[in-house]
Amino acid sequence: MTVPDQVTQSEEIMPMLMGPKVGKTRAGNIAINVGLYIVAFAAAFLLVSILILATTTTSPWDVMHALYTGSVSGWAAIGLTLEQATPILIVAIGVVIANRAGTFTIGPQGQFLMGGLVAGFVMFKFGLPVPVALPLCLVGGAIGGAIWAGIAALLRYTRGVDVIISTLLLNFVALELVDFCLNKIFLLQENVPTSPKPPQSAQLTTGERLPRIGHLPGFSVTSGVLIAIALTVAVAFVLARTKWGFRVRMLGLNPTAAQAAGVSMALFGGGALILSGAFAGLAGGVWFAGIGLRLTPGFEGGLGGEGLLVALIARRSVIATVPIAIFFGMLHSGGGYLATTGVPTNIVDIIRGLVVLAAIMPPVILHVWDNRRSLRVARRSAQRAVAGADLVEVAA
Amino acid sequence: MSDATSSTIATGKPSGFPVVPAVEMRGIIKRFGSTVACDRVDLVVQRGEIHGLLGQNGAGKSTLMKVLTGLLTPDAGVISIDGVPRIVKDPHAASKLGIAMVHQHFSVIEALTVWENVVLGEKGRLDEAATIKSVRAISERYGLDVDPTAKIATLTAGQRQRVEIIKCLRRDPSIVILDEPTSVLTLAESEELFSTLRYVVRDENRAVVLISHKLDEILNATDQVCIMRSGLVVAQLETAATDARSLAREMVGREVSLRGEAVALGLIQEAEEIAVEAADAVATPAGDVALRIDDVTVKGPGGVRLLDHLDLEIRQGEILGLAGVEGNGQVTLANVLSSLTDVDSGTVEVAGRAVRAGKAGAMARAGVAVIPEDRHAAGCVLDMSVAENLVLDDLDRVSNGRLVSSSKIRENAIRLIQQFDIMCPSPDTPMRFLSGGNQQRVVLARQISRNPKVLVAAQPTHGLDVGAVEYMTEQLRRVADEGVAVLLISTELEEILALSDRIAVINEGRIMGTLDRQEADLDRIGLMMGGQEL
Ligand SMILES: Nc1ncnc2c1ncn2[C@@H]1O[C@H](COP(=O)(O)OP(=O)(O)OP(=O)(O)O)[C@@H](O)[C@H]1O
Ligand SMILES: [Mg+2]
Repeated sequence: MTVPDQVTQSEEIMPMLMGPKVGKTRAGNIAINVGLYIVAFAAAFLLVSILILATTTTSPWDVMHALYTGSVSGWAAIGLTLEQATPILIVAIGVVIANRAGTFTIGPQGQFLMGGLVAGFVMFKFGLPVPVALPLCLVGGAIGGAIWAGIAALLRYTRGVDVIISTLLLNFVALELVDFCLNKIFLLQENVPTSPKPPQSAQLTTGERLPRIGHLPGFSVTSGVLIAIALTVAVAFVLARTKWGFRVRMLGLNPTAAQAAGVSMALFGGGALILSGAFAGLAGGVWFAGIGLRLTPGFEGGLGGEGLLVALIARRSVIATVPIAIFFGMLHSGGGYLATTGVPTNIVDIIRGLVVLAAIMPPVILHVWDNRRSLRVARRSAQRAVAGADLVEVAA
Repeated sequence: MSDATSSTIATGKPSGFPVVPAVEMRGIIKRFGSTVACDRVDLVVQRGEIHGLLGQNGAGKSTLMKVLTGLLTPDAGVISIDGVPRIVKDPHAASKLGIAMVHQHFSVIEALTVWENVVLGEKGRLDEAATIKSVRAISERYGLDVDPTAKIATLTAGQRQRVEIIKCLRRDPSIVILDEPTSVLTLAESEELFSTLRYVVRDENRAVVLISHKLDEILNATDQVCIMRSGLVVAQLETAATDARSLAREMVGREVSLRGEAVALGLIQEAEEIAVEAADAVATPAGDVALRIDDVTVKGPGGVRLLDHLDLEIRQGEILGLAGVEGNGQVTLANVLSSLTDVDSGTVEVAGRAVRAGKAGAMARAGVAVIPEDRHAAGCVLDMSVAENLVLDDLDRVSNGRLVSSSKIRENAIRLIQQFDIMCPSPDTPMRFLSGGNQQRVVLARQISRNPKVLVAAQPTHGLDVGAVEYMTEQLRRVADEGVAVLLISTELEEILALSDRIAVINEGRIMGTLDRQEADLDRIGLMMGGQEL
């Protein structure tokens, strides 16, 4: 039996290449899809260029070149890109789990902060030997994020509070909590002899950090990358192959049928939400122990939000989060380099925004094209059949 | 078709002129991948007539009508409306041409009220009072009883179906398409609807296309019948010159056995005879009690008792038919047995063990399988594949430990697809792409193949074609003979009489009494359905 094109159901295939059927063959279809993405990104590039010309004294070419140099021009840059992508990727796969279960959260920011905070306490306050403290700080980070998401889950399944609202509010609470801890010597504030003391924690010493792979000036990256890769593979596998994954998908697609089949909304929906919190919290821990090395107010720096965006673009696919997160990492590493050339780094935010739009638009455009095309076919066939008589279309 | 707005209808041509058909579809082709859903279909519908569209599940009926309403674009073919070739771009264009459709599956929005749903999608200012008034007028005229101010969420399937029909009729269409509009309405209701529709159509010169699997409905209500098989039109008949048996034969391409047909037709005497035969043949085996519902009360919003101290016992190997007017607690009972609703008091026991109601999956684990009335709500997951839908609540059977085995899922699917004759391009096809009747078969196949202790079948023949109804009834009998306790919930008394060993009657959430099949007669059941205790 041949399987028609529409019924490709594997959710793990990059959904971006599986838009509506436009081309005549499958290869043609993919070619058109890819082409459309290229056009969309080119358009975004053009817009960015115009913006750069209008607002700065640098040429767009120089900006792009700086972004390139900072992100992929050599092994050192590539390492930096991967490192920057790591926390974003960890957040994003967590969000994909929650989305699969039908829960929409905007909590990664707060969960990331709580994860980093708990990791900070573990490293600075317990006086444990490093081989014990490091793993514990990551586990603690995950637990911190999980608890933060757990509050939202509890509110949802006992009181019916909307998850979007509760996670939003919890983000603010986390920000304040971090501020508080970083302003109290007896908590996490670094005790420096200056006055006033800056609101920040101490910095991890070389021996206290997550081990690094490779050495500068060559390829060098935090071992947190390995954690991210392992988690991506594990989550893709669990969602696609295990009973738990099957049930989570069922819940996301039809909660009533899931309840009848033994998938409790509170248990699985809440579980997926808490798991996504654990991922965001772990991302906070990895960031702190491997990248940031010190806590400052708002140390999350938008990474949680970027993880959400990555999950949004990847839609329901775990695998698709990887390239997208790496791209976001490139904007970070390239943007950092760009800043040294004196160009305002807001440009990078604008680029990110346009790129997200460019990634979201093609499926919409394809859908419209698909409708137009089938209408054209219908019109031509009808025209032929009525041979000359006037076909009448209803005015919209 | 409300009186207030009937000015838009074109009057008939003066006699003597050639009659221009309201709808003329020529050479319509619609493919989905390798499936040809409509294959050069011709359909001509005149004004003043009700045109039946008949065919097995997956024959392409809904697809053809979606093409007519602009929901799908044909790959080839011409549609002429009142003699003018038209491109029907989208449903909006269709509604401008005066075409409106009642879809096979409900599209009402639960959170809104009836009148809000009815005006949804209309342009202009909302006028609550006027809408409610017009809904009442249509309800009354067509015998579609429903409260315009009620929330959809509180309505039964039958009431929702009435809302869909009212919504369509209120647009005052001159071409009406009804896709299984009465699948969950009773015979009496559908009779009233169609008797009104018939003279409205004739007097006001409208055209109706009616898709239905109920042959008697087709015979009573239509003037012409078009029969489709595998995307092709195989017969075009004048209703007056045909009968149920030949319709069934044309549709299936073979003779259909008596019992299934009788149930499908709702031919009471015939059905009664068969049932008596069946009851005689199988002496009711007195097995152990498989399902005991003891003093169960469920309160709804506002403290209404949806189930009111309900007691029910079903033994292994028997089919208990639950008769009753729709909306008397049948849905709540099915929901309790699907673990969707908790009880306020009372107990449910399966095979002697108490089962906690309302706990996700507890009933399924205890061995209760439910074929729900609304398959899209609780029966399947539209965006999962057919193969996955065939194992939803029985994952353990296709797993190795914690891992789901895709080869086992596939094997299971291939077996059931063959056994239940489910029409789909492959086991990986998303459930959404199946025709309504084939979706129902998937639900049936999953629940019957689970080897349940108790099988609850609520309107199990909903949307099935004649052949499938026959198979379905055979299956219910077979599982009962194998020792399963079957609870058959139906608003069709004929279906219950034809299949059940015992009959219980429900009214306002209470069991009014239980009768053996031999002592059951229509009058007595009728009285009990009206609320008289036995
Ligand atoms: N969107 C779709 N994508 C792919 N295949 C489809 C789609 N819609 C319908 N089909 C296929 O087209 C065929 C005809 O379906 P259709 O819904 O028209 O049947 P039907 O005659 O209405 O049957 P039923 O009595 O079961 O409602 C079926 O094989 C179905 O699987
Ligand atoms: Mg159909």
